[in-house]
Amino acid sequence: MIIGIDVGGTHADGVLLQGGTILAKKKVILGGEALEESIITLLEALVPADKNRLARIHLSTTLCTNALIQDSLDRVGMFIQAGPGMNPEFLRCGDDVCFLSGAVDHRGQVLRGPSLAEVEEAAVVMREKNIESVGVVTKFSHRNNEHELWVRNKIADDFKHISLGHRLSGMPNFPRRVYTTWLNSALKSRFHLFRKAMQFGFSRLNIDCPCYILKADGGTISFDGACEFPCQTIHSGPSASVMGALALIDGKKDAILLDIGGTTTDIALLADGIPLLEPYGASVGGRPTLIRALLTRSVGLGGDSSVSWRDGSFRIGPERHGAPMTFGGAAPTPTDAMRVLGRINEGQKAKARQAMEMLRPGEAAEKTAEELLQCFADRVYEVVDGMIEEVFSRPVYTVSDFLEREKITPENLIVIGGPAAALQSTLESTFHLPCLVPADFEVANAVGAARARLTVQASLYADTTQRRLAIPEISLLESIDKGFDMDSAELRLEEAVRMLARDLGGVAPSQVDFIERMQMNTVRGFATTGRIISLKAQIRPGLTEITE
Amino acid sequence: MTLFMPQARRKTGLVLFPAFDWCISPSHPEREERLLYTKDQLIEEGLEDVANIHFFNPEMALEEDVDRVHLCVPSAAELMTTSHFISTGGAIRAARALMDREVERAFAIVRPPGHHAMQTVFGDRGFCIVNIEAIMVEYIRKHYGVGKIAIVDTDCHHGDGTQDIFYNDPDTLFISMHQDGRTIFPGSGFVDESGGPSAPGYNINIPLPPSTSEEGFDTVMERVVLPLLEEFQPELIINSAGQDNHYSDPITNMNFTAQGYARLNRNLNPDICVLEGGYALEGALPYTNLGIILAMAGMDTSHVREPDYRPERFVQSAEMNRYIEDICSQAIEVFAGRHEAKKQFAGQEQVVERKRIFYDTTMFQAAETRVYHLCQRCPGYTEVVAEGLHQHVHGFTVPFNACGSCSSKAKDSFAKTDRESDTVIVLQDRYAGIFERK
Repeated sequence: MIIGIDVGGTHADGVLLQGGTILAKKKVILGGEALEESIITLLEALVPADKNRLARIHLSTTLCTNALIQDSLDRVGMFIQAGPGMNPEFLRCGDDVCFLSGAVDHRGQVLRGPSLAEVEEAAVVMREKNIESVGVVTKFSHRNNEHELWVRNKIADDFKHISLGHRLSGMPNFPRRVYTTWLNSALKSRFHLFRKAMQFGFSRLNIDCPCYILKADGGTISFDGACEFPCQTIHSGPSASVMGALALIDGKKDAILLDIGGTTTDIALLADGIPLLEPYGASVGGRPTLIRALLTRSVGLGGDSSVSWRDGSFRIGPERHGAPMTFGGAAPTPTDAMRVLGRINEGQKAKARQAMEMLRPGEAAEKTAEELLQCFADRVYEVVDGMIEEVFSRPVYTVSDFLEREKITPENLIVIGGPAAALQSTLESTFHLPCLVPADFEVANAVGAARARLTVQASLYADTTQRRLAIPEISLLESIDKGFDMDSAELRLEEAVRMLARDLGGVAPSQVDFIERMQMNTVRGFATTGRIISLKAQIRPGLTEITE
Repeated sequence: MTLFMPQARRKTGLVLFPAFDWCISPSHPEREERLLYTKDQLIEEGLEDVANIHFFNPEMALEEDVDRVHLCVPSAAELMTTSHFISTGGAIRAARALMDREVERAFAIVRPPGHHAMQTVFGDRGFCIVNIEAIMVEYIRKHYGVGKIAIVDTDCHHGDGTQDIFYNDPDTLFISMHQDGRTIFPGSGFVDESGGPSAPGYNINIPLPPSTSEEGFDTVMERVVLPLLEEFQPELIINSAGQDNHYSDPITNMNFTAQGYARLNRNLNPDICVLEGGYALEGALPYTNLGIILAMAGMDTSHVREPDYRPERFVQSAEMNRYIEDICSQAIEVFAGRHEAKKQFAGQEQVVERKRIFYDTTMFQAAETRVYHLCQRCPGYTEVVAEGLHQHVHGFTVPFNACGSCSSKAKDSFAKTDRESDTVIVLQDRYAGIFERK
């Protein structure tokens, strides 16, 4: 059995799952008490009588998001080595930054090392400010992590938490690496406190099964792993919702996922049943990062969004002015339109009609309601269309990739959230696609959290001319011989993925996929001097197999 | 836009297409690896996240885009690979992004390049089969009605293909600065190659001595390029942005830098850049391309320096400075004398020109005769007869800025020309939008 818990903005949901069956569900309103307390309350209600049958707990948490919003972040010291390129001044993450001299180039070759004096000097200043958490990032550290490790070794005794850029992602993009490292460092002590509180709660309830945290990419990570990489747990809410929709509808097709709430609609896309990922990572509080994340777009459009009628068209959201009129509010909402059309049966019908008449006096309430919901669906369609176009427009770098580009062609819509059923027919006719509204969608997020499985990504860069192999995610940098080829690369990378899976999840991965395979000869003069191989491997986001 | 990423002052579009799976041959400078390190640098810099910088995929150019400019023998489809259609389409995509106001500046970082491809094409010369800038220029004229365009070629090699295509067009000011043709391929590009009878003085060559450095290029910009552009008042400025003047380029002998390229582009302020040559894959291209992009976007370029950059290595001797100043004066005179030069053709009905064109990639010569049919009202139409690899082409080309009567004359001549078994006969009328072969 698995317990899945999803912590949202206003409430937290939990389910107890056995295989695909929901044995128990529970909702608590999040109020004054600490987040940890609400989670423990949920657990208490869900834990099966025979505690031994509980295999694990999966948790999606807003902890990191809240820490950001409430600004309860650690003060972070940053060591940044930019080398030649853009002026790095914009990367100053607060006041405590040391821009290091020296550089590593695009091929991972060390051009010049940083100076010890500047590192030591900055470390002294940071310590004087009681900074406990620092981040170390160099440009191209995914190709060569030497300088990051060197700095770490010099300051290892000075700081409680040190985050290294290359460990957080093997992807390129230096500014994103800087912000990812900063964010990870800034969340460290908050996350450690959270773990402590949770562990205390577990022991109070006599639970000793492992607990996993949901990540932004729809996968899970062990609690220990999350303590090392707390930034990965950001945006776990939207990813729980995507995984939930996946769990409730079994499908292997291209599809559109909509999670329609009170004020927002979250959109995700599936290609052959697999949710699409952001090309680099999530944006967090405006900062671009390398945190691997599901591709989701949020539109300020929900059942309770306030609606007005201006110049012959509706304006829906993004703001909300209290409850829909049918539930006693003062401003018209899409929910009122649903009530008028009998798509929902709760609420006062007269009030709902009044809402439509307020919007367009003299017009039949039914007509206004129809058109309002149509406008709602049209807006969603526009955003979905934009997302599909955006995915199609992602850069390609080879002739064969250019020729093989294919647009996602959704075969259905999967819709969850409060207004899902009420909007089903309108969405169906707007998208000209079958629209599925799964049962139990009100606990989709908790189910999604419960069913999510471990995800891992690792990247390999081998340069046989320089005889160097790098797998940044496991801090590997070693010598290779000239014969190192794609087969050796696959072997080494799969090994790395399995190692990461053990470290971060304690489980053996089911399937490792290789992606972005590139091999190129390097030529100087008229002779081939070696080859560059780059390769990524991943365990894709997916659902745990139901075996129990 | 976020507070956390810098913002480009000018909205800038990049078509980055390194064609990692295409080469002329495995050890050729134009091989898969060419833009590998450039792409790595640009991506690592995070340019994709810079506010106001937008990346576009290329598109496929159409055969009609190519046929508007070239006389390909036997045909465009038979000479070009898919990569050529994509790199041409990359330049076109950059132009569309600009003309449709998606961006204010655009840079096509694509390969293979194009500036050695002349009007008649029998094969690959100087790593080029079709002239991607020229195709882009005529695309812009056709679809957006732009007339006056300046092309400034900053590749180390003379842009002989572009010169050839626009040689008789007074609405195209072509300026090429390059290493002196006596010391490097293609061996042309001297000051006296100054334009056809309808456009004398609109083709400006500035042959520079080997080892020309930042100072030399600054002088050329200040004394020639900027004043000429000021006077010509083009609607668009295009930079044929080769980067092989770099001090570390393996197939040239110049002494230019990333800082220099950035400054040149800041001063030139081109609407569109199209990558041409540049073969120092590791030590130059990642930095020169970044410098050009940041300059176009109006961003800080002060940190874009090659790892081994030492300013003292780029000081020119007084003698070299004087030599370059002298070349600049000659170039200015060519342009200043353009109206006078035109008078010498007054009253002539046609001017004949013969040349031999060397195709270095597969080593053969083509022979070409060009007859400029002059007109009082317009640049007139051109008749081209060329032979290469035992194939013949006989073309009648009417420029976009021709008059109706020249268009009809070319059409009549085409109609009267008898079909021959080993000759492609072509009517290429940009004025009327007609392309016919028989």
